[in-house]
Formats: sequence, C-alpha cells, structure tokens
Amino acid sequence: MEKEEKNKSIGKGIDRIDGILKITGKATYATDYPAKNMAFAVLFKSTIAAGRITSIDAEAAKKSPGVLTVITHENAPKLNVKGGLRGGALLQGPEILFYGQHIGLVVAETFEQATAASHLIKVTYQQEAHQKTDFEHEAKTPVMPKGKELQDFVKGGGKAAVKTAEVTLEAQYETPIEHHHPMEPHSTVAIWEGDHVTLYNGSQIINGAQTAAAATLNLKPEQVRIVSPYIGGGFGSKGGQWANLVLCAVAAKVVKRPVKLALSRQQMFNSVGLRQRNIQKITLGATKDGKLNTLAHETISHTAINDEYIEPCGDCSKIMYDAPNALISYRSVPMHVILPTYTRGPGKSTGSFALESAMDELAHKLRMDPIDLRIKNEPKEDPSNGKPWSSRTTVQCLKEGAKAFGWEKRKMEPGVNKIGDDLVGYGVACGTYPARQRDSSAAVKLSLKNGQVFATVEIAASDLGTGTNTILAQTAADGLGIPVSQITMNIGDSSLPPAAGSVGSVGASSFANAVNDACTKITDELLAKSGKQFFVRPTARELMISENIAAFQIRSDSKAPVDADQYSCHSFNANFAEVRINSVTGMIKVTRFLAVTGAGKILNPKTARSQIIGGNVWGIGMALSEESIIDPRYGNFATRSFADYHVPSNLDVGKLDAMFINEIDLVPNKMGVKGIGEVGIVGVAAAIANAVFNATGKRIRNLPITPDKILV
Amino acid sequence: MNPFKFSMAQNQSQAVNMLVSNNSAALLGGGTNLLDLMKEHVAAPTELIDITRLELKTIEKNALGISLGALAKNTDTANHPIIRSDYPLLSKAILAGASAQIRNMATNGGNLLQRTRCSYFYDIAMPCNKREPGSGCAAMEGFNRMHAIFGWSDQCVAVYPSDMAVALSALRASVRVLQQDGSSRNIAFDDFHILPGQHPEKDNSLKHGELITSIEIPENKLAAHSAYVKVRDRNSYAFALVSVAAGLALEGARIGDAHISMGGVAHKPWRALKAEAFLKGKTASTANFRAAAKAEMAAAKPLSHNKFKVEMGINSITNALEMALKG
Repeated sequence: MEKEEKNKSIGKGIDRIDGILKITGKATYATDYPAKNMAFAVLFKSTIAAGRITSIDAEAAKKSPGVLTVITHENAPKLNVKGGLRGGALLQGPEILFYGQHIGLVVAETFEQATAASHLIKVTYQQEAHQKTDFEHEAKTPVMPKGKELQDFVKGGGKAAVKTAEVTLEAQYETPIEHHHPMEPHSTVAIWEGDHVTLYNGSQIINGAQTAAAATLNLKPEQVRIVSPYIGGGFGSKGGQWANLVLCAVAAKVVKRPVKLALSRQQMFNSVGLRQRNIQKITLGATKDGKLNTLAHETISHTAINDEYIEPCGDCSKIMYDAPNALISYRSVPMHVILPTYTRGPGKSTGSFALESAMDELAHKLRMDPIDLRIKNEPKEDPSNGKPWSSRTTVQCLKEGAKAFGWEKRKMEPGVNKIGDDLVGYGVACGTYPARQRDSSAAVKLSLKNGQVFATVEIAASDLGTGTNTILAQTAADGLGIPVSQITMNIGDSSLPPAAGSVGSVGASSFANAVNDACTKITDELLAKSGKQFFVRPTARELMISENIAAFQIRSDSKAPVDADQYSCHSFNANFAEVRINSVTGMIKVTRFLAVTGAGKILNPKTARSQIIGGNVWGIGMALSEESIIDPRYGNFATRSFADYHVPSNLDVGKLDAMFINEIDLVPNKMGVKGIGEVGIVGVAAAIANAVFNATGKRIRNLPITPDKILV
Repeated sequence: MNPFKFSMAQNQSQAVNMLVSNNSAALLGGGTNLLDLMKEHVAAPTELIDITRLELKTIEKNALGISLGALAKNTDTANHPIIRSDYPLLSKAILAGASAQIRNMATNGGNLLQRTRCSYFYDIAMPCNKREPGSGCAAMEGFNRMHAIFGWSDQCVAVYPSDMAVALSALRASVRVLQQDGSSRNIAFDDFHILPGQHPEKDNSLKHGELITSIEIPENKLAAHSAYVKVRDRNSYAFALVSVAAGLALEGARIGDAHISMGGVAHKPWRALKAEAFLKGKTASTANFRAAAKAEMAAAKPLSHNKFKVEMGINSITNALEMALKG
C-alpha cells in the first residue's frame, strides 16, 4: 500500500509542468498569437452614464493615418444581443446605460494609430434626466430582485424571533465596488477563414465562450473556435464573456484581416463586470451562553439598470450556524453602472465579512472566545435544507488552526497588546464554498514508441494560472501508469472534448474526474482488446507494451454522481490573522495569516497552497485597500488606475501559511475533490477586520480599513 | 498617443536651444511620468528631447554642501554614501516613494517636475483647470480624499505627489537652472513649486526653455536627527495621504532650528513655517512637538473627503519630530 502511494503522482506537490514556459515567455496568451497582416482595434467609450448618442463625428478619425475603419452603432453589423454575452455594449443602438459603455472601435494598421484616431472622435449626447449613479441615494428605494434564489428565505419565526433572545446584536456592514483586474487584461485575436472564426481569447469557460460568441454573431457553435490554453488570471471576469470578444470578431470581419483587440487597464474598470457594492445588515439573537436562536442577513446590492446580477451574500449565513430562526433576504438597486458579475468567492467573500464580523461582535459582547462561539453553534446538518453534510471540517479547521497559529496568545481584551507605538491583534473567521462536479468529457490518446508509452490528454478545460495542466497530468499519470513527463496536456480549445469551466470551484473536480474516467475507460478497453484475464489489474501502459499496440485512443463523458444531491457538499475553512497597526499613523500590516482548509482531496499541495494564499492576498486587499468609487455626478470611476485602486503590495502581505485538513469525502465526486478556487478568499476580510478590532478596540464595518478610519 | 518627433540632445546648450525652438517640446529624462501622461492623452508634446546623454549625473560635495545632478537616478541618489551618511532624510524620503523599478528610471530633475496624481487630471473626459484651463475643477466637489488641505484655490485642489521634494524642502535646497541665454540661476526650493492660484496649469516657476542642471543642498547638522514619516493607503507604492520630513538642529536639549515640510497636503511641498517658528529655541519634547503640529494644522482648510488629514497631520508631525529626536 505504502509503495503504491509512493508511486502516485496525485497528492504530490510537483512543480507546474508549464512553469518554465511561463517564466520564459513561451506560453502563448491571447495576444501572443501572431498573424500575418494583423490590424489593431481600439475601443472608445461613452462619457455619460445615461441617455443616448445624438451624433458621432468620426470623419477626422477615418482620415487619420493608418485607419482602416471606424465602427459604431451607425454601421455595426446586426448582432444578437441575447446571445449570452454579459454587459451589453454591443454597438446595436444609441442608448447609453452606463459610463464607459463601448460606443465604437477604431481599426488601424497599428495600435498607436488606432489609439490616436480614437481621440479624434466627437460624440454628442442627450443625457437622461434621472441618472442613477448615486448609490447612497438609490439605495433608499431598493426593489425586489427577480432571481428565484434571491427571494426571501425564512426559517422558523424568521427575524422577528430575535425579540425572544437574551442577547442581541444588530450591525450594518458595507463593502465597496471591487474589480477583478487579472494581470492579463481581456484581449482577443480574431481570425476568419470563410464563415468560420477563431478567437484567441482568455476564457474561463471554453465552451461557454464559444456558444455565446457564436449566438451573438448569429453563427452556429461549430463556426466559432475558442483558443485559450493559458489565461493570465480571471477571477470571474473571464467566466462570462463581454462585448470585447465579439467586437474583435466584428472588426476582423469588416476589415477582412486578423484583428487584435486588447483592453487598456483603465478600460478594464468598466468593461468586464465588477464586484458590486453591498450593504448588509446582520441581526443575531442568542442565549447568554452563546447559543444562537436567530440569524438574519439582509443585503442591499446595486445591479445594472437593465440586467440583474446580485452576488449571494447570504449564502454563508444559510449554512454556517445552527439557528432555528433565520431570514436571508436580498434587495436590489438598479443603477447606470456596468453589470456586476461573478467575482472570486461571489457573495461568500463579502457575505462572510458581514456574518463573521457579527459573530466576532457577539462573542465580544458575550465575553466568549470567538472560536468557542462558533463551535457552540456548529450545525449537525445543513440548517437551510436539513440535508446531511457529506463532510464538514469547520471545527477541525478552527482547532487545528488555533493550535498552529498560537491563538492562545490572543488577548481577550482589545487594545491592550502593544509593542511601542504598534497595536497587535488576532482575528479569526470561517468560510465555506459549495463542492460540485459538472459534466465534462476527455479524450486520451496513447502511443508506443521504442518501448515507451506516451499519452496525450485532450479536454476543453481552462487553466487560469492555477495549475489545471499540472493536476490533470498528475491525474492521467496515475490513471495510466505513465510518468507525468510522458504526458502531453492539450486543453483550452473548443475543438477538444467539451468541459465545464474554471468557475465556481468546479474546475478541478470536473476536469480531474473526466480525465480519471477516460483513463479508466481506456484501460478497460485495452483489457478487453487483450482478451486476457489478469489477477492484478494492469495499467494502460503495461497493456500497451504487453499487447504491442502502436496507438490507441478513446473519449469518455463524465457526469456528476447522481446521489451527491442528497447531501450538502461544501469546502470549509478557518482563517487566522495577526495585524500590527501603527497607532500614530493608522497604517495596518497583516503580519501573519493562516488559512486552514478542508477541501477534500488536494491533488497538488504546491499549486493548492499557491491558490489559497492567492485568495488570501486578494482578501487582504479587500480588507485594507481595494475600493472603487463612482463620482455620482458623472457616473465614472474616480479611482481609475492602479495609482488609485490599491491592490496589496508585497509590503502589505506578511507571512502566509496554508494548511489542508486530510479529508476523504467521496460524496461530491469519485475522486473526492472539492475545489479550492473560491474558498481561499472567503472569511479573509472578516478575520482581518476582527484582528483590527482586537488590536484597537475599533470595529470597522465598512471596507476597506484605511488609515483614516483607524485614526478618526 | 499622438505622433511626435524624437530628438536627442548631446549637450546642455543644445538641449536648451531645441527646447526654445519648439514651444510644445518636452524634455525626456526617465519618462516615468511623462510617458504615462502621453499614453493617457493628458500631455501631447510634438517633440520629445531625450536629455539622458547629458553629463548631469554626478553627486558631489562642494564648499556649500552637496550637488545632485539633475539626471542622477533617484535610486543612485538615495543609495549614495554621502547622502546616506550626511543627508539621510533625503535617502529615506526617496525610498518611501514609488517602486524600486520606477526609482531606477526616475531622475532627480524629473522627480521635481512630476505632475499631480489627481485622478480627474488624468481623466481627459473630466473638467480640470490644470489640464485644460477654464474647464473647471471636478475634484473640488468630487472625490477629494487625496487632495489639498493647504494653499488650494477655487481653481484647483490638487496635491503635488513627490516624496523626494518634501525632504528637499525641509533641507532648504535650491534648484539650479540653465537659462536660455546660457547663464544659470538658483531658485530657492520654496519658490520652485507654486500654489495653484488662478493658474493651476503651472506647477512651478520654471520657464519654457530652462533646464534643471542640479539640486543644491546646503550643509546642515540634521543628519543625526531627521525622519521621514509617510502615511499611505498601503505600505508601498502609494502616494502619501500625509507625509512629513523633519529634522532637528539641536543645541543641547533645546531646538536651534526645526526643519519641517509636509507632503500630500498642498500643491507644493508644504513648509510647516508655523511649526518651525514655534519650536525655535524651545525644549525638544513631545508636548512641544504636538503643540507645534497643532499650530501648523490649525490653518488647514480640508475638503469634503479629507478632514482626516488634519488629525493625521498633527500625529505625523509629532511622530516625525519624535523619531528625529531619537535619531
């Protein structure tokens, strides 16, 4: 058994198989694809938030050196606006629904010529009288959202039961607009051949991008090929695709040449969705010894004026604690702002900030250790639907984390742990994210050369930079009995067997199960082909050699286990933060952070650790510095560059540690993989905010916690 | 970015002549700000005159103090042994600014000429009197958390972003400039950057056709007692909410001369003259430091989003002076 484990690749922290390609610049991202006779497109955007275009004067731009064409709503080809792209802005009419909406594009011989010409376009507008760009104002009259899952969830006596509680806590938490800002801005190369188009474009869901682009362009899916073997991050913004993808294809069609279209960093602020602003009210009722009787989580979020996306902030509150009476509600505030979208840990990262801050507040009120309060309210089954947990590791994460972090050094009394001018504080917060598998297919192709067996694995999976290629090669290595070095991964292409996406923490489970199933199937078929009986099941490699088969291939289609639905399947974590705050300047540093995660089988501890600490880093940004501000007079972002939108720098990030609970849970899927993409950010901001309270005695309920909020 | 002519100056007088002959030409040093401005369409010079070949890169002691070449890199300046030993305040301030990569490119002269980071200034769709005189100031009634609390006008509330210049102000440096006629003039640091007044489009008193050749810092007795405090939204690579350069020339327990300048609060490095005057001759104590800080900040006129800068300024001046005293 031990020997067998030793030979397994899954579970080993091997280096990324594409690491060298990436650090030497040889990995091909979207704009790296060369094409002869490439033209360059640059988008230009509206400078009002609501109204309509009354005229566009593009004459000077058209005469500008190198310009091939200018495309606006006046001459754009007819597109299907309901084709599945997010955020509209497809140049189909003069209406303006948000500031920075694409209103046209210039195509020129060079990027510089297109950019220069785009500044020569003159646009006049008729502004709408009531421009909905002031969240504070609009949030006074929120409306019921349309989404089925956003309707009021009431359990027991709902929020009213709080009146019967011995101790109550009611607090309001606010989170600002945040942006995904992957290192690789959204960019596309479009190349037509006849009525088929190939789109090189970073896509978290390869087949989703294909079907949406095809439908929008009024084509059949097979007429569109998406190529996206590498993605420079996405965080949800490359899950659904946006207008830029199809507008690049349109430009290429119009100029009859390959076209490259890349968004600038400034354009990223209002082109590809965002994390919306939320006001969350938490009401907790408990007994004096900390048993919850009521948990209410009421959220108000803005959304686009004509389309609804609301991140589910109440999701954690639905399942984290055992309260007989509960209310989860959402209200929506339609605004003239680009459509919000899935943003790492959608709803859970922001929702856990509210819930887990409130739990910390309640613990303080009860003079309880916040870990004890959580354990006291640990639910035996899913409180939202009564289903049994497939497994739940919250208590284990809390206990093992407390030990590893040195939680016992935390002072119960806030504001007393001082080193010189600095205040030191400890905080804890929990998180969770659903574990799911989605249908995916994979092909395995084996070949025998000079006594060695080589494999190519094909699947339209995507790699955000998190290590999909590597974990799938490891999965195939174990499934076929072939070393990782003899496996070629072929992913990120819609011409490959279709797969789920790298979204919602379903990537690893869906892709790895598909590859594993394909390996099982090819071994089965080789066995059948051999016509022999074996005492010990041979590997595909052994069969290729013993039967001297030159080449063999299969494709298999995997589906999620049907009985997974009878259980509540989730990843869980506990986050521990130590902060050091300069009491004179108010500046905060997260000196230590530990995330303990129970996420089932960890396929590669090295890439998994990177993914978790990556989530932690964004959580640090969310807690301390990231905030995008709309100037309500114009509807634009006053924070429109990295000089104003502060992602964490190296100096903001102290020592990060990730621990995984050794967990075997085969309910969500056969391989027991729960996924870690989202959970790494869930609970992080709350742990830091709780540490800030422990350090200073100041409870800051609106993120980010900047120095001015500490001082005032 | 608009097409532009690229020229290369081989010597100082050629650089000046090239500049004089084209009113919309700009000098290119490290380019760390100018190229951004051009990419954002805020600046559109028709000619860039590359001056990086000029011999203005030396840092050397002279009879009066030290001379910093205008084209010496920020990094080389901060790490120069004499700067580190005799002018540590300058070293600390430079290293508190930007990022290592930017400091490696940025020149000392260019640092003085960098423009405000007001986001409305950078967004060409917004009104901005600094970018487009007469168009209005979007920041005045807009998002002005980063903006001025001293010396602003009804035309402009922008702040000047440099850290290095705050230290140079406290060190009472001067800027040496080559003029069109070939002669040089010295501009006292306090007079180099100017308040916005009715002409926010002008950041400084340099005339078109003038070339900064060096920055002169007089000798001082502050080396053992100086500090730079910078409060910002993250621990690196962010502009100051408030910064303070402080140096104490002590005579026993008494303060012979206090040098205090602030960043992030005005359209220029803000000499804390009231605080300096208050401390002259007084005992170096926290109580006096705080009283001096309060005296300075009493005149602040914060905007709607930056009232916190007053308290932050008091704390930061006090803290910088305490750190300077400790040495």
